[in-house]
Amino acid sequence: MTGASAVRQVFGFFSFLVLKTGKTRVFAILGLMPVALAVIRRVAIHGRSGLMTAVFTEILMVFFLQFYIVILALFYGTSVTAEEVENRTLAYLITRPIPKPAIVLGKFAAYSLLMFAMVALSLTLSYFIMNAARLSDPELYLTFLRYLGVLGLGVLAYAAFFTFLGTILKRAIIVGLVFGFGWENVIQYFPGSTQKFSIVHYLKSLLPYNPANVRGGRGVALLLFRLEPTAPLTAILTLVVITAALLALACWVFRTKEYLYEE
Amino acid sequence: MTAVIAASNLSKWYGNVLGLNDVSLEVEEGITGLLGPNGAGKSTFMKLITGQMKPNDGNVTVRGQKVWNNPGVFQGIGFCPEQDIFYEDVTGWEFLTGLLRFYGYARSEIRERAARALDIVDLTDDKDRLIRGYSRGMRQRIKFAQAIAHDAGILILDEPLSGLDPLGKRKLIKLIKDFKHQGRTILVSSHVLPEIEALTSRVVLIHQGKILAQGDIPFIRELIEAHPHQISVRSSDPRALAARFVGDGSIQKMTFAADGRTLVVETHKRDEFFGRLTGVVLEAGIAVDEISSPDDNLQAVFEYLVGE
Repeated sequence: MTGASAVRQVFGFFSFLVLKTGKTRVFAILGLMPVALAVIRRVAIHGRSGLMTAVFTEILMVFFLQFYIVILALFYGTSVTAEEVENRTLAYLITRPIPKPAIVLGKFAAYSLLMFAMVALSLTLSYFIMNAARLSDPELYLTFLRYLGVLGLGVLAYAAFFTFLGTILKRAIIVGLVFGFGWENVIQYFPGSTQKFSIVHYLKSLLPYNPANVRGGRGVALLLFRLEPTAPLTAILTLVVITAALLALACWVFRTKEYLYEE
Repeated sequence: MTAVIAASNLSKWYGNVLGLNDVSLEVEEGITGLLGPNGAGKSTFMKLITGQMKPNDGNVTVRGQKVWNNPGVFQGIGFCPEQDIFYEDVTGWEFLTGLLRFYGYARSEIRERAARALDIVDLTDDKDRLIRGYSRGMRQRIKFAQAIAHDAGILILDEPLSGLDPLGKRKLIKLIKDFKHQGRTILVSSHVLPEIEALTSRVVLIHQGKILAQGDIPFIRELIEAHPHQISVRSSDPRALAARFVGDGSIQKMTFAADGRTLVVETHKRDEFFGRLTGVVLEAGIAVDEISSPDDNLQAVFEYLVGE
């Protein structure tokens, strides 16, 4: 079987398999949290006709950018290879006529698609519920697409990082937690070029500075606090390179490393 | 006959623990039994020949091709792992069709092959149940089904009979023998001698990571015959029973167990002793409650062979 065909088959198998796991149900429910908050905020506090401010959008984006995509990528990314080793199901995969990198790439693609679908659904519902009063404003849709694009790139970059981590470490989740919620949270506020050593820096560099020009809104000031942005094109290219390089490394490690089960 | 699987000077160690030590072995067409107690190195050997591990020393080939990082070779290999491991949240059908995708078959062929494999292992009626809900025997059978579904010419079966009821064992043994008649190469591991004996006469004895002996069953039996067997006979009158055997040349030693009801006999000629015992019991009318052979297991045989 050729590499591309093998990736497609692994993708198909795990796209189906991942939908049946308890983990997916938990994260899907977690994704409903901002939707519920948006409904409560809109109906209970501001009333149906009230114009939602960008402040709440900002809070939601903090949730998506600095929590939801990180936690999703952490659990799905590390499990691309680690769950096969921990559950000892790896034997079923590596004794098939498919190249080992195809296992990594196919599972990565399947899990990334699922993560993006969860993020997209949650963002779409919460964003439009909050901005229901401005549905005729074309600016609203452009901002939404920009948010969606940023989160999509974030899912890929984080998932690639955690996939790589999963191939080299036995307890990748712990290191991943330190990286995702320690390093990434702290380093982004460092001045100068230090903040460029985080993935979130490049994601934030792509956010709109003055989203939708909402009356009374502050844009995404909270998210852009202390940000010394990288040019958008450079930020996109950096994220693509990070994703591709980490995936290539993960494939190489998975191909050459021997995974021994703990007895 | 040319070797289908060839291992030469194969060694594998886990840190300071030696898993396999300088093993050279050629597996030919037909059924070969890999026999050894738990921890002997059977699974390590099987993992090495299925490319799940790479050897620290030596090399292994399947049909002349290296195995490690050579996915092409797996088109012709079916592997049944020892561990009771699965993707638990899928049905038996989904498990089989999912794994068959990796062979590049068309959808219709995948369905056809999965249905055939399920039929062979008698799981057609349970194909839509989650594997999580399968009994131990069913899990063992679905594991076997995934190894045979793609009609591999080489089957590597790690303890395939464990967990099966006697009827299930008989069926699987018959099935494996049928595969042999189709010209396949089958390597089966077990720690139970009668299981291997029921499958094949070609046996490789492995112990502490080394090949201790290899040959046909009569040869292995000869080795075992040289091993003095202990047989315990619990009866209503063990002393009367002992008196009947005092002059028997096949017996080397007799002792009485602490319970006062058990006669422990040590003999080189087990079959001969059992033949005499039946006659004595009938003749003297001594009631026998239980006959057991405490060291009638592979571990004892291996310990004897390695001189422990």
